[in-house]
Amino acid sequence: MPPSLPDFSNSVRLKYVKLGYQYLVNHILTLTLLPIMAAIFVEVLSMGPEGMLNLWRSLQFDLVQILCCSFLIIFIATFYFMSKPRSIFLVDYACFKPPITCRVPFATFMEHSRLILKDKPKSVEFQMRILERSGLGEETCLPPAIHYIPPTPNMEAARGEAELVIFSAMDSLFEKTGLKPKDIDILIVNCSLFSPTPSLSAMVINKYKLRSNIKSFNLSGMGCSAGLISIDLARDLLQVHPNSNAVIVSTEIITPNYYQGNERAMLLPNCLFRMGGAAILLTNRRSERRRAKYRLVHVVRTHKGADDKAFRCVFEEEDKEGKVGISLSKDLMAIAGEALKSNITTIGPLVLPASEQLLFLLTLIGRKIFNPKWKPYIPDFRQAFEHFCIHAGGRAVIDELQKNLQLSAEHVEASRMTLHRFGNTSSSSLWYELSYIEAKGRMKKGDRVWQIAFGSGFKCNSAVWKCNRTIKTPINGPWADCIDRYPVHIPEVVKL
Amino acid sequence: MVFTKVDQDLVYGIKLSSVGPGRVTGSDVVHDLSGMDIAMKLHYVKGLYFFSSQAAKGLTLPRFKEAVFECCCDFYYTSGRLRRSESGRPYIKCNDCGARFIEAHCDMTIDECLEMKGFYFDLQKLLVSQQVIGPELTFSPPVLIQFTQFKCGGISLGLSWAHLLGDAFSAANFMNRWGQIMAAVGSNNTPANLQYKSNTHDHERSKNPPPVHDEPLSLKWVDPVGDHWIVSNNCRMDTFSFHITASQLATLHSEISAGRNRNDQVPIFETICAIIWKCIAKVKLGEETAQARTVTICKSDPRKPTKGFVTNTQTISSVTLDSSVTETDPKRLVTLLVNEAVDERIRMEEVVERDDGVSDFIVYGANLTFVDLEEADLYGFELNGYKPDLVYCTVNGVGDEGAVFVLPAGPEGSGQTNGGGGRMVTIIFKENLVPELKTELAKKGLGQGGGHDLT
Repeated sequence: MPPSLPDFSNSVRLKYVKLGYQYLVNHILTLTLLPIMAAIFVEVLSMGPEGMLNLWRSLQFDLVQILCCSFLIIFIATFYFMSKPRSIFLVDYACFKPPITCRVPFATFMEHSRLILKDKPKSVEFQMRILERSGLGEETCLPPAIHYIPPTPNMEAARGEAELVIFSAMDSLFEKTGLKPKDIDILIVNCSLFSPTPSLSAMVINKYKLRSNIKSFNLSGMGCSAGLISIDLARDLLQVHPNSNAVIVSTEIITPNYYQGNERAMLLPNCLFRMGGAAILLTNRRSERRRAKYRLVHVVRTHKGADDKAFRCVFEEEDKEGKVGISLSKDLMAIAGEALKSNITTIGPLVLPASEQLLFLLTLIGRKIFNPKWKPYIPDFRQAFEHFCIHAGGRAVIDELQKNLQLSAEHVEASRMTLHRFGNTSSSSLWYELSYIEAKGRMKKGDRVWQIAFGSGFKCNSAVWKCNRTIKTPINGPWADCIDRYPVHIPEVVKL
Repeated sequence: MVFTKVDQDLVYGIKLSSVGPGRVTGSDVVHDLSGMDIAMKLHYVKGLYFFSSQAAKGLTLPRFKEAVFECCCDFYYTSGRLRRSESGRPYIKCNDCGARFIEAHCDMTIDECLEMKGFYFDLQKLLVSQQVIGPELTFSPPVLIQFTQFKCGGISLGLSWAHLLGDAFSAANFMNRWGQIMAAVGSNNTPANLQYKSNTHDHERSKNPPPVHDEPLSLKWVDPVGDHWIVSNNCRMDTFSFHITASQLATLHSEISAGRNRNDQVPIFETICAIIWKCIAKVKLGEETAQARTVTICKSDPRKPTKGFVTNTQTISSVTLDSSVTETDPKRLVTLLVNEAVDERIRMEEVVERDDGVSDFIVYGANLTFVDLEEADLYGFELNGYKPDLVYCTVNGVGDEGAVFVLPAGPEGSGQTNGGGGRMVTIIFKENLVPELKTELAKKGLGQGGGHDLT
């Protein structure tokens, strides 16, 4: 990874130079326009009102020319407004809060593990070491079927979990937004590992009696970044369908995917994945502009599947005993780093201020032409965003991104605390993190949020939101009863 | 239906899971065990509650489990696991691991079960977990709950409660709290605000000064058991129970109080104890040593705290007769049991603390032990407003001298034919002497009648 800038940049003088440079480049248009306008104003003043009238009369306009000009102006204006993409607003979202009966403390997890894997003490030892260093807390939840010794996953239990998670989140969303089921025009459900027939989206349509001309989609197999893929899909659909509401449900159903064997690489997801889900309401209706929480600015998707190593790094397969599990390869972090670099290369020009982009360009030219040994410049993304939501895939992922993007502890606090309280809830973790930031009262109007998610394939997807109105601390939400205890210090190794 | 041996498959469909506190207890929370708790560590309180189909109507298993999650928040120390400190003294780390929850089914109706010969010994073992603590101390649940559904729609709840957590009174408190939460599920009920209170130094001196010898009679050393907390008996022990109806009690009363002032209140428990003690002494004839003339009495302590964690607070006293039991008048026995019981708890604690709780002891069965559970609110657990049909309570891990438990019979309308004023007596005794004991009891008019066979 490229190292950070040399130490002398911390000296005060250089800091002010940097600030001055940023102000200059970012406001260059204003700074050039102002003197020109001042000059014109002075010129006009010096000419006096009679001079102005003479100038006006010397321009001979006849009616036809005036009409043509005005029509041209109106035509260009109309064309501009019609071709502008519709603004997509996030009205509100709701996260699933698991019931207390689903809670799995460390001690219970380890005891069950010992009883289930009693012939394989090495595997139990491995799970214990993972759990100690995982960054999870004592309040994460697993679905009821997994609480049994041994777990009893069957289709009915999986459907039960899906209904519990999805319907709770949807009920919560309806309550928060006042949305009526009949007003949903687009429904997208994403759940990577559980894909029954009829689909989960059909299940939602059946439960809430949605309209028969609804546009429904069910995305499966797309991993933890499927949440942002759904957002992208919704955005594209909302460009085509005017005046519509889109509901997105992001979840991961754990029941059928709990690995029952003892292959170490496949036991890892058991320790990290937990129950969770979120329901989000997006709209392009102009009437919702006032009360919407966020506006979607960009979605950038990067897929590294063309590379074989990236393709195989998160792979679902059978172990030697025929038990199905998800195997994580050892170079997961390296591949994630590559995918991230690819993504920020695309998103950088869209979000970074001109000053950062110029610096990056200059350093790039310099390295190519003058001296390849110059350290590459890492753009400072803290200038582009106020809040970061990094998918809580695991402690290593958050550490890696914090290092690569040079983020402070406060920037990654939402991600770390979500991992601690809810575990890795896959595609919905970004929404728990956003909820954390709101619950802490840090979300102000105009703040920009960057959501980054990684997923199998290997994909890295980003979404950029802009806060539409200052958000008051919510009374109810997944963090309502515990936000006062956070942030907590998470030790490197928890003593079990 | 009569079975000669209980079929293991009678109770089937066993599913294990864990239920613990629904809210985080906190990190590094520890529950210290007092000397009394450690003295009791080889014993396990077993409670079995039967509810009719009417009482269990509309109540699903998830609702029961949810209520236990709430209950464990109040009794968080029961969900922890044992650890040993550097000196070897056990303590409980409150890590929210939880109680073991066992789900089972039975193809008989409750009535059929209770009428079975061999019920009290064999079948109840299938309805209450017999798991002990150990051999792995750190992964053994001190509380196990079994939920069995019967063909008739009735249910049984079997509680296995390690005695180091508390005596039968505190186990009954736990179950009653569960019942309260079941009744209040769906409404906002404030937690019982139970806080741990140290109970080691609250004993007041009993009215009798301690006798000359140092060692308490109620506490007996056993060979070290390491981390597998089970009592090994030198001979097989058998268990049997019978009911005493209110009218039988009245008869016994009149026998005892013949010649006494009518206004004297003769306590029921001591009456029963005296009669049973005499029967046992007759059966054990030829073993009349000083130890054979000592009994241990366990009763509820009237001065125990009513709020806070109620752990091992029952009074444990001993009574020694200076003459032969068989030759002593029952009236005199009753007087002795009432007046001369010496509270030994403080001395027991001293002995336990001598090596910081490392040694292993037994209390029940060190001498013949009489346990008065009349004050235990065993029928306080209500479902849908109905009291249990039957509550059976005993202690496992009783030593060779045996134990006698006097339980309250169900209140009127609880489904027992002798409900209201009667008693239920359970005796754990050496297997080979049980038939003779039953004969002796029959001579006194005990063990017959009531709703169930003397088995």
